[in-house]
Amino acid sequence: MVKKSFTKIGIAVKKIDGVELVTGKAKFTADMKFPNMLYGYACRANVAAGRIKKIDYSTALAIPGVVTILLAKDIPGPNIIGILPPFDQPLLASEEIRYEGESIALIIAKTKAVAKSAAAKIIIEIDPWNPILRVDEASKEGVRKIHPQGNVIFSKKLIKGDVKKGFEEAEVIVENTYHTGFQEHAYLEPEAVCAVPMANGRITIYASCQSPFHLRTHISANLNVPASRVEVIQAYTGGSFGGKDDVAAEIGSLASIAAVKLGKPVMIAHEREESIIGSNLRHASRIHYKTGAKKDGTIVAREIEILLDGGAYASESPFVVMKALIHAAGPYNIPHVFVKSTAVYTNKTYCGACRGFGVPQVTFASESQVDELAAALKIDPLELRYKNGLRHGDATATGQVFNQSVGLIETINKIKEKKKHSHPTEELNNSRWLYGTGFSCMLQGISNGAEGIDVVGASVQMSQDGSVLIGVGLTDMGQGSRTVFAQIVAEVLGITIDKVTVKQVDTDSVHDSGPTVASRGTTVGGMAVFKAAQEVKKSLVKMASLMFKSEEDQIILKDNFVFLKNNNLAKIPTKEVASAAYWTGFPIMDLAFSKAPEANYNHETHQGDIYIAYNFGTHMMNIRVDRYTGKVEVLQHIAAHDVGKVINLLGIEGQVEGGSLFGFGLAHMEKVIFQEGKIINANFADYAVPTVKDRIPTETILVEDYNPTGPFGAKGIGEPPVAGAAAAFANAVADATGVRFRKLPITREDILMAITN
Amino acid sequence: MIIEFTCNGEMKRADVPADMRAIDLIRDVLGLTGTKEGCGRGECGACTILLDGKPVSSCLLYAPKLNGRKVQTIEGITEKDGKLSPIQEAFIEEGAVQCGFCTPGMILSSKALLEKNPYPSDEEIEEAISGNICRCTGYTKIIKAIKSVSDKMDMGN
Repeated sequence: MVKKSFTKIGIAVKKIDGVELVTGKAKFTADMKFPNMLYGYACRANVAAGRIKKIDYSTALAIPGVVTILLAKDIPGPNIIGILPPFDQPLLASEEIRYEGESIALIIAKTKAVAKSAAAKIIIEIDPWNPILRVDEASKEGVRKIHPQGNVIFSKKLIKGDVKKGFEEAEVIVENTYHTGFQEHAYLEPEAVCAVPMANGRITIYASCQSPFHLRTHISANLNVPASRVEVIQAYTGGSFGGKDDVAAEIGSLASIAAVKLGKPVMIAHEREESIIGSNLRHASRIHYKTGAKKDGTIVAREIEILLDGGAYASESPFVVMKALIHAAGPYNIPHVFVKSTAVYTNKTYCGACRGFGVPQVTFASESQVDELAAALKIDPLELRYKNGLRHGDATATGQVFNQSVGLIETINKIKEKKKHSHPTEELNNSRWLYGTGFSCMLQGISNGAEGIDVVGASVQMSQDGSVLIGVGLTDMGQGSRTVFAQIVAEVLGITIDKVTVKQVDTDSVHDSGPTVASRGTTVGGMAVFKAAQEVKKSLVKMASLMFKSEEDQIILKDNFVFLKNNNLAKIPTKEVASAAYWTGFPIMDLAFSKAPEANYNHETHQGDIYIAYNFGTHMMNIRVDRYTGKVEVLQHIAAHDVGKVINLLGIEGQVEGGSLFGFGLAHMEKVIFQEGKIINANFADYAVPTVKDRIPTETILVEDYNPTGPFGAKGIGEPPVAGAAAAFANAVADATGVRFRKLPITREDILMAITN
Repeated sequence: MIIEFTCNGEMKRADVPADMRAIDLIRDVLGLTGTKEGCGRGECGACTILLDGKPVSSCLLYAPKLNGRKVQTIEGITEKDGKLSPIQEAFIEEGAVQCGFCTPGMILSSKALLEKNPYPSDEEIEEAISGNICRCTGYTKIIKAIKSVSDKMDMGN
């Protein structure tokens, strides 16, 4: 690889949409207003399971300001949403209640306050059933079926080598069961949509959402109109983390149905409680691990059973099952692996995508067990990881071999360097404080890979003035992908970033690029943008070579000019070249696709090439625990990740710092509390999202092991830090207290109880 | 009832129901949608405004309470010539903004702190923004941004 120097890549670049965000000018969905706009509010079940006997909305409908009330029968289409088969979630329930947040009636009124007060006046008689709340209960023979096909949503096996033989070779075996709890995304902006019917029979939906094309599909189906009549425009979106997908499709469809029926714009904007109860959570899990190793520390076999609580609807459970399955063995070279991964229905808020997508759960369990194995073998935990860690040319759990971009060992080496400067923890222990250090290694697949389709479309359109408009089908929900796309185009075309604008995603103007998930924005989306920019560059180079009467390989694009190589005086402003190209008839716009290569993958054994790349990481967390109160202080947290190539340093650090605190919340603070299937802490006073006082001092270390499938060698970073930080925290607590907690969250109360007993 | 107050330097007069929330007056009547509603219970800080210079949650405040007082929202803190204020610049410069939904409230809490205490310690910064939740950034870059304003003032001296 020739080392290239870049001017726009690998540096800290300010967010291109920063100004509108710091001035409050950016319009989020709930900030929008349209003439004659009405407001929708859903009346929910408020019981976890049962059958609807009667709905009486006559009193509610008579309230002044109430315009209409919609029930299931008023939905023109199939009244079903769902991201993956089995599509199983009704927009409005008419018979069975499967969770407390189930919407039954949608009130449309002139103000939100009126709609909300009317909801309280709707009389719904429900024949209540005993809710099925535990995964083991749901899996039992003969138990009530939450959905007609039974309570198993999805179940898969991964078979590598011969795990029985592997355990016969093992000299030391450790085995335990681990649990993780639900997690709420807690993006600061609650979900919101606004549906605006147009005179030409079309409808435009502005939405705070993650995947506008999912919305278009569901809205058109439930409206029973062709998809091409539906336009979804992503408004500024105040965080998503996997959460604004099913629910955005749900309220997007409901608002659209009401808007079309009434011929007026309809806004539905959730309140915080609705956002927590009525949209997906991270799956809770029960995970059993058995690991066998030789006395020298060589891991020879792992057998793992994962059981995920999927809640009332499938949502993305099938893919979360797969992701957990594929990542469960960890970033290690293990010849014999058997994993079974299953998600089941319960009568709780449904679970789906949440930053990390099944990987934080298995990484916590796996890395806890690696520490337990290290203790059994009397080997240093970091050395054990180093010994077994994946290297270039090793096979992952699916048997996929990467010859490039496997930077795990380098991340371990970086952590080892840092560890040298840390004080041995046991020497610090005193009457009040218990010190400890935890490590974790992890991997996170980048792209949808063989899980699903992986196409992204992007357009790069240069104007005659040399400025560029980028359209891409993936959304920026705050993570900064628009800035990354702008940098890529600025680099390729040799222009400054202020010349670049990145459009909001509008389903009318970009190719369906699937969902913005799986840390694929920079890698797959960035590649599409890169390819489109390359085509525009070809025209500029061709034009410039005619203008200079020179060979094309003598043309350089830089600093808004086109230069002749080795001659800084021979330069033409890019805008003049663009204008000449336009008048000559050379295209200065291109639409490109990036598509992952056809993967050879066996969906029965889960062997083969699944992802286009993995992000690898190693975390170290130094903590101290107050013996008197159980309080944990994180003294040092180092997150080393192999990102292939840094595009925006500022953005990457932001992802690592924010993702790590997200993982810390999962590991230590955040607990969704259910009572009889109802969430009793659906607010920020009782559900503890980390505040500034809970922040951890994350230091980011970046390893760049070139990834041939990403733009300039880059790989995604959005999700990976969550798993790394959560797992390192659990191991640090075990090291400090001598107590191994096999469940998340490990709260301050848990710690205090354990160390005082 | 009729109330009069100063909003971002301009005199405002409004006829408001006694039970109207300040956030609804600001967003729906005055159209200042930079003030965000994240929880409606005073738990997230997204709706922070400055009332006589002090940060308050406008979702917990009744609109009549604004009578005779000085209100500042995010729309009112840019410089007269439209230039960003130093704290806004710092948030962009340091990468303290991701999704931007907490940002207006976070900036107003920071501004109130810096006006009272131009050289705050980490603990003072923590205290000042402890009522503003940010789910994206992990807070480190927000603290850096606030400190960088102090540092720049130092250089100006």
